[in-house]
Amino acid sequence: MTEGARIALAVGAALALGFLVMACVTDQPWAAFRALVTGPLPSMERAADGRLVMHRLVRFGAWLQDATTLTLVGLAIAIPFRARQFSLGADGQLFMGALAAAALSLGLGDVPAAIALPLAFLAAAMAGAAWGLAAGLLKTRFEANEIVTTLMLNVVAVQVYRLIVGRVLNDPTAGFITTPPLPGAATLGPLIARTNVTAMVLVAPAAVAAVVFLLRRTTLGYEIDLAGANPWFAARAGVPVARATVLAFALGGAFAGLAGFHVSNALLKRLPVDLTPGMGLEGIVVALLARGRVAALPLAALGYAYLRVGAQAMERATDVPREVVLVIQALIILFVVSDRLAPLALGSLRRVWMRIGRTA
Amino acid sequence: MTVAPLAIALEDVEKRYPNGTLANSGVSFTVAAGEIHALVGENGAGKSTVMKMLYGLERPTAGALRIHGLLADFRHPGDAIAAGVGLVAQHLNLVPSLTVAENVVLGHEPRKPGGRLDRVAAAARVRELVGQSGLAVDPAATVASLPVGVRQRVEILKVLHRGARIILLDEPTAVLTPPETATLFATLRHLAAAGHTVLVITHKLDEVKALAGGVTVLCQGRVTGNARMADVNEGTLARLMVGRDLPPPPPRRPAGARLAPRVIARDLGYVDGDGAIRLRDVGFEVAPGEILGIAGVEGNGQDVLARLLSGAAVPTTGDARLDGRVFTGLSPRAARSLGVAVVTEDRLHDGAAPTLSIVDNLLATRYAQPPLSRRGLIDRGTARRWAEAVIAGFDVRATGPHQPIGALSGGNMQKLILAREIADAPAFLVASQPTRGVDIAAAAALHTRLVALRDQGAAILLISADLDELLVLSDRIAVLYRGRIVARFEAGAVDARTLGLHMTGLGPEPKGGDHD
Repeated sequence: MTEGARIALAVGAALALGFLVMACVTDQPWAAFRALVTGPLPSMERAADGRLVMHRLVRFGAWLQDATTLTLVGLAIAIPFRARQFSLGADGQLFMGALAAAALSLGLGDVPAAIALPLAFLAAAMAGAAWGLAAGLLKTRFEANEIVTTLMLNVVAVQVYRLIVGRVLNDPTAGFITTPPLPGAATLGPLIARTNVTAMVLVAPAAVAAVVFLLRRTTLGYEIDLAGANPWFAARAGVPVARATVLAFALGGAFAGLAGFHVSNALLKRLPVDLTPGMGLEGIVVALLARGRVAALPLAALGYAYLRVGAQAMERATDVPREVVLVIQALIILFVVSDRLAPLALGSLRRVWMRIGRTA
Repeated sequence: MTVAPLAIALEDVEKRYPNGTLANSGVSFTVAAGEIHALVGENGAGKSTVMKMLYGLERPTAGALRIHGLLADFRHPGDAIAAGVGLVAQHLNLVPSLTVAENVVLGHEPRKPGGRLDRVAAAARVRELVGQSGLAVDPAATVASLPVGVRQRVEILKVLHRGARIILLDEPTAVLTPPETATLFATLRHLAAAGHTVLVITHKLDEVKALAGGVTVLCQGRVTGNARMADVNEGTLARLMVGRDLPPPPPRRPAGARLAPRVIARDLGYVDGDGAIRLRDVGFEVAPGEILGIAGVEGNGQDVLARLLSGAAVPTTGDARLDGRVFTGLSPRAARSLGVAVVTEDRLHDGAAPTLSIVDNLLATRYAQPPLSRRGLIDRGTARRWAEAVIAGFDVRATGPHQPIGALSGGNMQKLILAREIADAPAFLVASQPTRGVDIAAAAALHTRLVALRDQGAAILLISADLDELLVLSDRIAVLYRGRIVARFEAGAVDARTLGLHMTGLGPEPKGGDHD
């Protein structure tokens, strides 16, 4: 059975089960289901003058924006995972990246976009990489479990972020605790009107392509792969396992940092103190859905973002409570990552079928 | 008409694992009651799967198993034990801190009223079993104090205690010295004479010859040969096992003036993290074009010696030089850059990355240098062509250079590992157990390569538990026992029996100050 067919079957089964759950909690399960499945898509209408008009572009934009962030944080999980390191640190790296990009943008003030944008972009990547590097060094130098260190580094990063946004970069004229708006030259303009879909929507797949090339064609990528596949063998063969592991963390961190740049300089254009943590952890889901294959990350991110935005649409359009929406999301992920579920289900179906055939 | 009753019968047995791997297909063979039957074939040929099905650890996906004529549908080992089938696994499952008697009755204990273990009855039961089976073991001894050969006897007693009439043994000689092997064979013959049926996995031709009444050959999950020992001679048996005639053993190195040593190791010692002395006072010299064999029962310091010599561990004392330059105590990469290559003892653990492709496994030691990479970019085309050339040149059975190396049989994997290690014409090769678990045809091919490398002027340290291999290939042999070299021989002047005695610490004391 091909991977595509397996995933289609898993998603189909999860949606069917989700429909049953919805039927239990709402009088209008069909409407809710429709909102979930078609929510993120724009609708087209022919206006009075005969032109095609697109509606609901905001949601469509939200889908692409979400997918962009998710692809980048997915890389932050997937690259260390190639070295068999379970990094949970994308959140902290994203916060550090966002903070660095915003701080630099504000600090530069009125400079041309050609200077402000690349510098903010680089600052975000470097801040994320530094945060990843820390986890990598703790692992290779001191044998500190990376799951623990990345989670703790997340806590540190989020609190440092809140401290700096609240105390240093605070805009006293705003009605809430936030940085001032970033200078226009440092922010990215929309590619689709009324959305925040910016050039970052192209940067994310380009980043994925670059990482695929790195892993497949460079000696560093080979070292990361070998260190992950069998570190004892890699060491005996003379591969610098510790260096490869540290660099895998740092490289992953750089992309989470870029996700932070996306949040600060493309989506929000200013940083509120209560920026919600958790997007980095969603990156774990995306990396799991892509099953460690970097090239599959954009697809997994698109799929997962679609589900998130569809769920939001359902929540708004119907009386299905948010809790049920989250349950359905979780169900889909459970079904997709259960490797043997679809083959087993098909197998038992076949057996039942044969038994029926025999008794008939 | 009288026919010997069949103890084991497999009828068109198929085993397909849920992931799609077909481990056995159309396997049919029978073993008469009271027979010793050998199951031979390379690693991955499906021998162990047959054993697991007979012991209830796996269930066949098609076909039928019969035990003493009755259809056997074992769901777990308990069913198999109830049907009189017992398994002596390759890795022994004993509790080291308990006595022999306690280990034997563990799980089926004689109990006093109140449920407590009846030690007196347990010891009596074990003495009774010892008397019946001829397996000499002291019931009161603690298992931790026993050598491996005796522990294996305890395993057999355990199986007998549970009432087994059919005894399955998975590569029982892999961990034994020659004297221990001889004792095991005598025991098995005794058990067979007493009416037990023995099914034993091995891939050694001489063991089949010495022990078995019948033999079944498995290849890629199917039965490719089946014979009564009475009907075959050694030549036909070898053909049956290999599929073609074996090449003649490699020629001995022409005796000539010994050249100046290329590798000199002095006073090598290693104390591990727990403070245990794993190696001490090990010194040796290897000349160009010479193979020095290291004999020893596993766990007597061979692994440490190989790790020190390949840069994977830092010696506590002493060092080793290659062409005058110290190569120990640095790093694996530094040792390699000085001309050292390594075939590691456990190829799945640190000799290969089983999930990665053949190409990626070959690249591991050479990826950082031209022509395989330039300025950090790997030339995948060159790498693929090299892998294809190796597959063809070493006669590796694989579907192509991108097949995961873990999907290959042990012999094919080992050919690729050796190909990788000798690709840069190393000055010094440390080869640990280069043919362990490898079928005899592949072993012969590997031996030919080692000899060719020797003839090019490389110094080779051959660490092996296989005495036949050591005796055929080595120019000189040193015996490692409890971390020390206890004896040294010219290879032509020693036999397996003498080596075996020294390996178990039973040889005469080593001559003092002998550094050869």
